[in-house]
Amino acid sequence: MTMMRKDRRGFLRGLACLAASGGAGALIPQLRMLGTALAQGTSFSDYKALVCVYLAGGNDAFNLLVPTDSTRYNAYVASRSGVYDPNTNPDGLALANAQLLSLTGASGSGSNNYGLHPAVPELRDLYDAQKLAFAVNVGTLLRPISKTEYNASAANRPAQLFSHSDQENLWHVGTAKDNTLGWCGTTIDALKPQFPPGNNTQLSPCISIAGANKVEIGSTVFPYQLSSSGLTSLSGVCNDAACGTGNTSRRDAAFNALLADSYASNLAAGEYAKVFQRGRDLYSLLNTGFAGSTITTPFPLNNDLGDQLLTVARMIKLSRTQNYAARQIYYVRLGGFDLHDNEMTAGNADHAALLTLVSQALGAFWNALGEIGAQNEVTTFTMSEFGRTLSSNGNGSDHGWGSIQFALGGAVLGGKLYADGGGVFTQFPDLSLDNAGNLSRGQFIPGIGLEQYAATLARWMGVDSTGLGTIFPNLHDFNASYLGFLG
Amino acid sequence: MQIRCRLGHFIALTGLLGTTPAYSRVYDHLFANHFETPADSPASDAEAARFLTQATFGPTKAEIARLRAIGYGEWLDEQLGMSATLERPNVEAVIDARTAGGQSVGQSQRHDRWFWVAAYAPDQLRQRMAWALSQIFVISDRSSQLSQYVVAMADYYDRLAIDAFGGYRSLLGDVTFHPMMGRYLSHYHNQKPSAATQPDENYAREVMQLFSVGLELRNLDFSLSGGVPVPTYDQTVITHTAKVFTGFTYSDAPTNPPNFYGGAITYAGTYSPMACWGTELFGAADKNMRHDITGDDGTTATPKTVLGGLTIAPNQTCHADVNDELDIIAGHMNVAPFISRQLIQRFVTSNPSPAYIQRAAEVFEDNGAPEHERGDLGAVIRAILTDSEARTAPATAEFGKLREPLLRLTALWRAWDAHAQPADAYGEVPMMAGTSFSLTNFAQRPLSSPTVFNFYLPDYQQPGTYADANLYSPEFQITNESTTYTAANTLYRFSASAYLGMANPKTDRPLLDLSALIANATNPGAMVDEANLRMLYGSMSPAMRTTLINMLANIGSSGGSSAANEKAWSLVYLISISPEYGAQR
Repeated sequence: MTMMRKDRRGFLRGLACLAASGGAGALIPQLRMLGTALAQGTSFSDYKALVCVYLAGGNDAFNLLVPTDSTRYNAYVASRSGVYDPNTNPDGLALANAQLLSLTGASGSGSNNYGLHPAVPELRDLYDAQKLAFAVNVGTLLRPISKTEYNASAANRPAQLFSHSDQENLWHVGTAKDNTLGWCGTTIDALKPQFPPGNNTQLSPCISIAGANKVEIGSTVFPYQLSSSGLTSLSGVCNDAACGTGNTSRRDAAFNALLADSYASNLAAGEYAKVFQRGRDLYSLLNTGFAGSTITTPFPLNNDLGDQLLTVARMIKLSRTQNYAARQIYYVRLGGFDLHDNEMTAGNADHAALLTLVSQALGAFWNALGEIGAQNEVTTFTMSEFGRTLSSNGNGSDHGWGSIQFALGGAVLGGKLYADGGGVFTQFPDLSLDNAGNLSRGQFIPGIGLEQYAATLARWMGVDSTGLGTIFPNLHDFNASYLGFLG
Repeated sequence: MQIRCRLGHFIALTGLLGTTPAYSRVYDHLFANHFETPADSPASDAEAARFLTQATFGPTKAEIARLRAIGYGEWLDEQLGMSATLERPNVEAVIDARTAGGQSVGQSQRHDRWFWVAAYAPDQLRQRMAWALSQIFVISDRSSQLSQYVVAMADYYDRLAIDAFGGYRSLLGDVTFHPMMGRYLSHYHNQKPSAATQPDENYAREVMQLFSVGLELRNLDFSLSGGVPVPTYDQTVITHTAKVFTGFTYSDAPTNPPNFYGGAITYAGTYSPMACWGTELFGAADKNMRHDITGDDGTTATPKTVLGGLTIAPNQTCHADVNDELDIIAGHMNVAPFISRQLIQRFVTSNPSPAYIQRAAEVFEDNGAPEHERGDLGAVIRAILTDSEARTAPATAEFGKLREPLLRLTALWRAWDAHAQPADAYGEVPMMAGTSFSLTNFAQRPLSSPTVFNFYLPDYQQPGTYADANLYSPEFQITNESTTYTAANTLYRFSASAYLGMANPKTDRPLLDLSALIANATNPGAMVDEANLRMLYGSMSPAMRTTLINMLANIGSSGGSSAANEKAWSLVYLISISPEYGAQR
């Protein structure tokens, strides 16, 4: 459904107000169906979870997955200002062919013509075990466009390309037109009617270990924010029933009264009280269980992403034992990918260092899922606001557009590259500069729209085609409404 | 309009004494009238405390009294005339002393100094302004490019404080040329194109998106110009603008023989304004000439077409190019509403009315007689704080904001005249209870945001009532089930475990002076009323008052702590984590 709107803010305001009151059906009729059981089927008897790994800053994924056959590899090297060498070519961004990790993948996949960044042996092993798949040249697109159409009019392309905040916003929304809700949140909106009656109604099915985000905001759900340090108790007041009758319980009674007050004339205080009260309620629900939900699989030290994923593994374990929700979505995040500077300079913040963190964290997470018997039930996937320029700015890269993402899980049809979304560009892209598929510095026009990628994941979670069309309103502008990496 | 009259009086006098530049007014005590209550004095202690909550890191009893004695106008004159309390000299001395003493050094030395300045410096409004500016002109020690540059980052913050009441264009220039900004947004060592490389676009993009004009054309009241989103620039503008910000390096990078990659030999080298290796230093064909003197087509036949379609001539020196570019940026119609709105969000309310934004933006455009200058940040903050929307008691539920988490701590210290510990052997006054609590527990720390997009976005909308009503709530972006807990636990550490007269007093943090409460331990109503004035500017709801009085009536001694002490810290702690203190109205 296309909407012509003169006032974007007015539209968003209207949508937000109506969505909250459940009356959004007046604006977008299909939304009414998200909250009812009629579109979907019977209660889920299984458990599934998505884990969104947001790589913040714009991951230079054309250095993660590199063609190794000589013609394409040479084009890659030329575009990336030569193979990096700290002494002889510090400007270069290309990786040495001999350093790339060779791939076998699924039979017939042609994986032997590609290699992975040397920093990701864990990802390579998962790819060869056919648990990891790459989605190639994915990006924000209103609809498939050629370079001619890109140049012809700004109306043909998403707004504010190359701006971090705007492109990240679109990845959270799941489509190339802004919206107030995130696609993981609306996915849960669509699936909640099928949660079995025994599921917990207090804990959000959307859980973030990385703070506030938009992707997990739906019209009936927003993320519960848990830190990778887990749950802490609140000082000076009671945290469980065994609190006695002394000063602590007096303070606790006062604090409970303050949180329970009406703040009808003070919005900020009222919303703060709601957040705090939620934390109190969920602490009571989760604390004992979470403390006891242990994982013995070792996780890498000094790895923030690993810390977050360990917490995810513990919550998945607890959630399944306690039957919290038939479907859950987790959000974790690693920053630092905006490598305008020192992209290749060995240290603890260059691309190799970041990819090491990602690979080791995901390797441990995969093993932890094995420990709790959840490898087939959990699909982990990356998002990042854009790729980066192939060409160098002297010691790094600038903002690009189409990039490579990947998905990992027992349900993933891995060991393959998925580049064909039925659009204008259906192959692993030509890595020369300023060709028919990219701009002057190698910023790629995506061949796959991000909604095609996201819809693949939402569909696996159980959203049917009607629901997908509502969550991803531009999906019908693409030939393939989902990619094949989840069947 | 007594405030205007008082200013008019003041300006006329400086005319007699000689012209005083707009950006360096000095408060003249000779002609101040202390013999009667000024007409613009706050009507009550509560009103004074409310103003100081907006304008400082928290009201103190002394400052409440002073403000009532001299009135808003003189108080603002005084604050705008005060010179900046600096971080760098102190931080540098501490770093040197610790290094000489074989102790580790790092950004925590700079953080400690920030907390001390926030709690104790007399130039409170200037420091609040620097803090607000640090959330717009963001650099962060979480970048590996900056994390070891403690002294230079302190200098960057000092630059914001020094420029806080000056001209926007000057501030923009100082920020652009500061090596810490250069390293953070990578125009330091950015070079003209080569066969294989193009100039780094980072600074070109962010200086426009975040420091000046934003993404869409705006009217003075911040509404969208033309009613629909119209981008202020596109990728082509970015590419051309990137050419401008090329050739930067440290001021002490040697030029003879030239080493572009040298410099930063001394502290001063790490913070002095960057040099730019353009044709001002080297011939155009010299390989050391690192600045891009070409225009749009990569030759010197065309100019650089930048923001708003304006052009910069080719073949200029780097400084000429950069100054032209910054003139163009600073002259854009968006700057006034873009900056004014964010300042209002930091000081007064998250959702100013368009009319309020416009009144502030108009002062940005023209600071009034006699100078009629554009970009006077001192005039803008004065206008923001004296505006009727700020001074009138809140009439709607949505007026105001969530207090920044870090400001809940500074206001706690100032409310209770927290006593500072003596400086340690290296000259550092310990403020942080021996931990690096701030980032993890408050999700805020000076010059430590996760990205150049600050701790929270100006347009963040908390799901629920805020988002449903299309209202903004930036500070809620870092307020969640986890940080409400960790911030509360930290406030406990700085109240329950940090007051004068406690058993085993801590030595690594300020100690609150709760004597006014302890002395009234038998009178819970008086205790609550005193705390209401100091922490909630008299706005405590009757329900909260009753709850706290009932709590106090039932609190007794505990272990070695007297009932009076227990009541005192319990009251302060509960208020510090309460919803009403969490908000600022």
